[in-house]
Amino acid sequence: MARAREVPGFDCEEPFAAAAARVIEVRAAEVFAHSDGVLDLGDIERLHDMRVATRRLRAALEVFDSCFPRKRHRGALKRVRRLADALGERRDRDVAIEFLVGLEAETPEPDRAALRALVERLREEQREANAALAPYVKPRRLKKLRRRLRKLSRAAKR
Amino acid sequence: MKARRVEGLDPAAPLRPNAARLVRARLDELRSFAPIALEAPASKTQHDMRIAAKRLRYALEIVGPCFGPEADAARDVARRLQGVLGEIHDCDVMLPRARGIESIRERLRERRERLFGEFTQLWRDATPVWAALERALQGGRRA
Repeated sequence: MARAREVPGFDCEEPFAAAAARVIEVRAAEVFAHSDGVLDLGDIERLHDMRVATRRLRAALEVFDSCFPRKRHRGALKRVRRLADALGERRDRDVAIEFLVGLEAETPEPDRAALRALVERLREEQREANAALAPYVKPRRLKKLRRRLRKLSRAAKR
Repeated sequence: MKARRVEGLDPAAPLRPNAARLVRARLDELRSFAPIALEAPASKTQHDMRIAAKRLRYALEIVGPCFGPEADAARDVARRLQGVLGEIHDCDVMLPRARGIESIRERLRERRERLFGEFTQLWRDATPVWAALERALQGGRRA
């Protein structure tokens, strides 16, 4: 999992709203930096990194909610939440499949067919979750979200 | 689970006092779940506590530099709590799905029990970490 980037110029004595603007800019950039290849089911770590970055952005939006115009903040948070939820649905299946596949070798023979059937159901759900995620990670949609977050950051009540 | 609203934050005031207020609220929220979550079958409260641990962790990730190494230690404990409670939740979600596969269900039950033991131990060990964080929040630190 990628570590959070440092926020340049972070200063505990500067106004809360100025810190908010700095943090949101960095956390938003992290989300978009991890957006390549998230639909690739052969490399589930890519999605994990974007999910963690989205969680960090969401947390920053929640921490600093009092620093932004309410309506603009609500609009941005809603979109980030939807992206986070779509990433989460896929990730839940990735983790479950990985866990169950890891148990197959030590599962007694009579239970193996049922285990494989469960894994296959989860793979189907994984594909469905990936299809549901696809519109959220289209470059055009991400670009719009990025613009929205930039405007939000500039609107911090300094 | 919605985060509890933090009263008295002031966008024009310096980050440090606002951050202290916020972290204290997130820590209180996390601790409020402990009495019930420390009972093994309380899966719903354990799930809520995981979300509270996540909120504390990410709040500390953002404003931790204002409170020094005590905040780093608290963030690490919150991260580990979030992790172990997340794995307990994964077992709770998987158990009903594995109906009819008794060997897998048995593994999941064993795993949950072991993880619950790790959680209670981690929570016990966290007491001095939270106390140190509270002292750091009162005193602040030069950034």
